[in-house]
Amino acid sequence: MTSQLRAAPGAGRRRRIAARTRLDFWFDAALLAAYTLAYSYGFTGIGIHEWLGLGIGLALLIHLTLHWDWVIRTTGRLLRPRGPDKLIWLVNLALLIAMTLCVLSGILISRVALPYLGINLTRIGPFWSRAHTLTAEVTLGLVPVHVALRWRWIVRIGRRLLTSPRAGRSR
Amino acid sequence: MKFLRQLAEVTLVVAVVVVAGLAWARFGASTLGGGPRGPGKVVTVSGKLLKGLPPGTEVAVRPGPHGPVIVSEGSGGGMNLGLDSMFQAVNLPVLRHTLEIEAGVIAAVVILDIARRRLRRFLRARRRQAGGSVD
Repeated sequence: MTSQLRAAPGAGRRRRIAARTRLDFWFDAALLAAYTLAYSYGFTGIGIHEWLGLGIGLALLIHLTLHWDWVIRTTGRLLRPRGPDKLIWLVNLALLIAMTLCVLSGILISRVALPYLGINLTRIGPFWSRAHTLTAEVTLGLVPVHVALRWRWIVRIGRRLLTSPRAGRSR
Repeated sequence: MKFLRQLAEVTLVVAVVVVAGLAWARFGASTLGGGPRGPGKVVTVSGKLLKGLPPGTEVAVRPGPHGPVIVSEGSGGGMNLGLDSMFQAVNLPVLRHTLEIEAGVIAAVVILDIARRRLRRFLRARRRQAGGSVD
């Protein structure tokens, strides 16, 4: 999840935030906001819920791809006795499974988005409705944990990004 | 190029989870018993029940954390983004409830993380003092 914070040579305290770090921060923030809205089904209504869910499904592929190096690196270090990020790796794995099943079940029980795209799935039993509810509730527990386990990175980058350059110079 | 290769690997992993999910539905569907929260009861509004919703609109009444929640289900034809129910003030507690859960879990994890780091620092300092090492 974390990206390199590259310092411009000789920049001292005023370090430049790499474009990739900016992308990670804002992309993940947008993903969290979209997830929060999509989970609040009663607030958004079924249309936005379904379209957001489909969008989140695609965005998750990109999110995972952007952090795939971390996944490979951490998976390789799992067997070390004091390998770092084991808890985060486990939470992320559980979240990957829950989120994938949530999006999958959401697609299968879709009543607005898929019919609009001309896809009408028949013979979908109640299993997928229950699976959707269950996995959605699991993700609601795991998403904040996933975010909070990186809270230092979020606070560090957020503070730099949200502080205006003028305020940064005045310090 | 690297991004596309990694995207392909990610898609493969996701496909494995999808296949596992389909296998679960095929062979272990009975493991998922019916809970108290079903898909909700869908009713068709005959008159003008809700502000902003035309007659004939299907709405779902779902159990929510703060009482029943009314969700716009669309009126059949065309693409309906369901914006109507977004403007029902009665549904705002649903969003607030989600935010409260997220904020609560984040706060708990952050507090635990800070406590864990402080404890580790304290134990390290005590070990150093007991061992009489430098510092």
